Amino acid sequence: MDVVLAAASTPDFPAVLVAVVLTPLVGAVVLAVLPRRSSMLQPVAALFMLAAAALVAWVVVDYTAGAGGFAYLIDQSWVSRIGFSWKLGVDGISLFMLALTALLFPLATLAASPSRDRKSYFVWLLILEFGCLGVFLALDLLLFFLFFEVVLVPMYFLIGQWGHGNARRSAVKFFLFTMFGSALMLVGVLATAFLHSAAAGVPLTFDLVTIAESQVISASAARWAFLAFALGFAVKVPLAGLHTWLPDAHTDAPTAGSVILAGVLLKLGTYGFVRFGLYLFPEASRFFAPLMLTFGVVGIVYGAAVAAMQRDLKRLIAYSSVAHLGFIVLGIFALNVEGLSGGLLQMVNHGITTGALFLLVGWLYERRHTREISELGGLARPAPIMAAVFLLVTLASVGLPGLNGFVGEFLVLLGAFSSHRWWAVAATVGVILAAVYLLWAFGRVFWGRATGENAKLPDLSWRERLVVAPLLALILFLGIYPRPVLDRMEPSVEHLVQHLEEHAPSGADSARPSVGQASP
Amino acid sequence: MSDFLRSYLTVGIFALLAVIMVALMLTLASVLRPERPQKQKYISYESGVDPVGEGWSQSRLRYYLFGLLFVMFDVEAVFIFPWATRLETYGVFGLVEMAIFIFILALGLFYAWRKRVLQWV
Amino acid sequence: MSPSVDWAALLPQIFLGGGSLVMLTLGTLVRKRAPWWLPNVLGIGLTLAAFGSVVWQWVRVQDPSRGAFSTIAGTVQIDGFAVFLSGVVVIAALLALVFAPFSIRRAGLPPEEFSVLLLLSAAGGVTLASANDLIVLFLGLEVLSIAAYVLAALDLRRAGSQEAGLKYFVLGAFASAFFLYGAALIYGAAGSTKLDSVAAALAAGAGSNARGMLLAGFALLLVGLFFKVAAVPFHAWTPDVYEGAPSPAVAYMAAGVKAAGFAALLRLFAGTFSASSADWRPAVAVVAVITVLAGSALGVISGDVRRLLAYSSIGHAGFILVGLESAGANGTSASLLYLGVYAFMALGSFAVVMVMGRDASGSQPLAAYDGLARRSPWLALGFTLLLLAQAGLPFTTGFWAKFEVIGAAVQSRTYWLAAVSMLGAVVAAFVYLRLVVRMYLVRPGADGDALASQKSGVGLADDSRSGDEDSDSRPPVAVPRSVGFVVAVCAAVTLFFGVWPAPLLNLAGDATLAVLGG
Repeated sequence: MDVVLAAASTPDFPAVLVAVVLTPLVGAVVLAVLPRRSSMLQPVAALFMLAAAALVAWVVVDYTAGAGGFAYLIDQSWVSRIGFSWKLGVDGISLFMLALTALLFPLATLAASPSRDRKSYFVWLLILEFGCLGVFLALDLLLFFLFFEVVLVPMYFLIGQWGHGNARRSAVKFFLFTMFGSALMLVGVLATAFLHSAAAGVPLTFDLVTIAESQVISASAARWAFLAFALGFAVKVPLAGLHTWLPDAHTDAPTAGSVILAGVLLKLGTYGFVRFGLYLFPEASRFFAPLMLTFGVVGIVYGAAVAAMQRDLKRLIAYSSVAHLGFIVLGIFALNVEGLSGGLLQMVNHGITTGALFLLVGWLYERRHTREISELGGLARPAPIMAAVFLLVTLASVGLPGLNGFVGEFLVLLGAFSSHRWWAVAATVGVILAAVYLLWAFGRVFWGRATGENAKLPDLSWRERLVVAPLLALILFLGIYPRPVLDRMEPSVEHLVQHLEEHAPSGADSARPSVGQASP
Repeated sequence: MSDFLRSYLTVGIFALLAVIMVALMLTLASVLRPERPQKQKYISYESGVDPVGEGWSQSRLRYYLFGLLFVMFDVEAVFIFPWATRLETYGVFGLVEMAIFIFILALGLFYAWRKRVLQWV
Repeated sequence: MSPSVDWAALLPQIFLGGGSLVMLTLGTLVRKRAPWWLPNVLGIGLTLAAFGSVVWQWVRVQDPSRGAFSTIAGTVQIDGFAVFLSGVVVIAALLALVFAPFSIRRAGLPPEEFSVLLLLSAAGGVTLASANDLIVLFLGLEVLSIAAYVLAALDLRRAGSQEAGLKYFVLGAFASAFFLYGAALIYGAAGSTKLDSVAAALAAGAGSNARGMLLAGFALLLVGLFFKVAAVPFHAWTPDVYEGAPSPAVAYMAAGVKAAGFAALLRLFAGTFSASSADWRPAVAVVAVITVLAGSALGVISGDVRRLLAYSSIGHAGFILVGLESAGANGTSASLLYLGVYAFMALGSFAVVMVMGRDASGSQPLAAYDGLARRSPWLALGFTLLLLAQAGLPFTTGFWAKFEVIGAAVQSRTYWLAAVSMLGAVVAAFVYLRLVVRMYLVRPGADGDALASQKSGVGLADDSRSGDEDSDSRPPVAVPRSVGFVVAVCAAVTLFFGVWPAPLLNLAGDATLAVLGG
């Protein structure tokens, strides 16, 4: 597979990815030595995040798609005894996850500032960004696992210490659920590495590319290993049934926590499915695709139905995430170019729109100290700009053509329809439901007569407008002109689908014809 | 079964015989003896004196300490006798070893003495 | 007939055992009462000397031109394994001595006896680690344990400490009896007490004509040693002893005595009896799983920090047994790594527990830790790091320990054991989170446990504002420099080698048993 091994881009700045990952960590250290009550805490934290964002922006612009392999590869042996190396790289699949992370973190940091223990709050946020960036860049199974797991700690403290309501309980629940998921993943990581080294007759290595390209693990073992990985990702996504931590964690987390949780953390799971499910275990992915698709569809319908019944605005958005993530899973396990690109695009879109929604709900909550839909109403009159922004984001979230949500959803349905028709049909129901509950909630909150405190609601401040503006710009840009993103994504997706076809032909185990390969 | 284990068979047979014998005698006795229960007969016998107080009683810790000291020298003897029978074979090495051993034990006794364990007050 | 003695091989024992005897002699001869710090400083000096000689031995053993060697007619084996575990035992004794003055002064522990007994016990541990003969093994075990029994009961004024000492003594004596019976049966089956002769005899099929005796021997040895390392179902003494015994002694027990107990288990089973691994592996696997699960589950329901840490140490013992179960060089080095890493976590944790309690021993409710992060942020941070490491979070040594152990299990294709142990680790993580929650998320005087506080109706009450800059009426915990030093060292080791594990993994990987070759 020389296509992959040859790095696609000329590295002017080969260590750029290391710099990307380490910038937040350095920021955390710098922040840790600042005085506790310094007024510089928030600016410094944001500065480091923006620095990381600038580096990522450079990578996004500089990245040339090429043949879809990994670029800016860094491979530094860490523990040679067990073949563990610090291997980072980026391709069209992880590129936009990286961009999303780098974008949402500074926005979330600037959006809100906690009223106490500000220092540790920002330190945890920076460590969280370090972990998230690491997950998206790691090309070593063990390194990936390390980052995947380390994310838990800062998020746990963010929810528990600065959250609302029953924050402690939600934090512990979040921690235990995700740790339960990844517990078996470690066994999977080890089993994969040992089986690969035994079957290929090479020394132990955790290198993703080596293991994925060799495909020497027996089919039955690979299926078990896939399941071990999938459980960890499924909890993180979360798939319907394993989702119960999500509404609690989202609702009780502080605003920045919710934004990051919905915008970035959930993507760790779906990204994991693409990178460590499909790429690492193509045959097992094909084998379990119907199961995963079913989970996806159940998530879409169930998430939508439950969201429609919520009285708490933030909880409603949390459940809408379950539905959206179901869409993403549907796209990924369609296992064709359209579905995968749609799923990936939808990952970015969901991060942007849900991030924006959580920001807005957070600001609303700061003003009104309630999130009960029944207590709000008529907010469009006192706060027209907030209403307009909220409407735009809501429409993007339900997938209105011309806004970003549409492109992703359309591609997902297209991909799913061509490979698994009936699942796609069922998922379409979810699209309609989403429109119903989101617009209904919007109407109840912003339209009607404003009474009491609702009538005196202050509109978005300039600072808040500045924070949300980039997200709105992206919503419009990605809706009208998604080409630059898709262009960078497509070679890598095609390469992945090719890899799938090579090791697990689509016609081999299912009678259904696939037209996924037809047109790129 | 190995010879080693077979030699334990004798022990097993003897153990079995012992159990059977005891069981037999007890059964025989219970069949033959006359039985006339009386309250007085069930009082615990303390050398002819009527029992006084509770069944539980505290004994002084000192007895325990002396017991320990006794065990100490007992163990010393257990080690010294076999060594003495093989004195020539172990030679100077054995002598030094035993000297160290006795020194450590003596140190313990000395320590106990300094901690006033040996005083009977 | 007198065997040749390589005195250099015995240097740690000479420093520890000989030094403690000299201290005892001086203590009884000199009439004047020594200042309280003198025995402590002497003890630290002697353990440092012992540590130096251990390091020297390590260099000698790792030198490819010299390698492992045995002395005193082959009854003492100095190989990488022995030196590594000697190092762990000596470090445990050293750090326990460093932070002991706090207990000695506050709870009035007898300083001289504490140092002497600790050194003596460590001498036993070192002997155990390097023993190459069933009888020497037993000798080491007894020296190690008997001193530890007394250490447990050293806080004489408290009934809990006495209870701990007595329980530990009685059960330990039972365990020793089991061990002796087992050793006798193995001697009967293999015809020698020397471990290399036993291994050779087993490899040559010595067990085949006395199979029953051999199996009974294995079982009895396992039972005896399971008692020592506190594996379920032989763990019942642990919580009581950890609760009752003085903290420095408990720290040493968790770190040092456990390491020594595993030294015996690993040398005997992974090393000497490796030829009959098919016989003992199932038993170890079952015990390992029960230990991991029960240790974690019991930790969940315990309401006392000492007992909680006791159960966690049981859970850790289960993980180390998982390493033993895979019965090979990898599993052994994984277990060694775990022991070395856990020693620091345990020592640091018990140092924290010590300063948090008014007494050297006795129960300590979880509520004592409420809001610690506000009162003493650094102490809370150090403790949190040690607890998260015990939960096995990445970038701590605890992760690498679990990684290696699970890796060994996976490599020997015991997937079920690996999977169940990892699930046990999640349950255990909850146990540590309970404490972290207490320190960071609970206001003192507030409601109880994180998960018990599910009050309905609180819903949207914004407690992030109401509690702004609240001041805790309780003063910060006074942390003496010695204790702070130990916690800092343990946390630093845990974090540093968590980020850069290569030296640690290499160290444990080089610490091979001479029997297994390498």
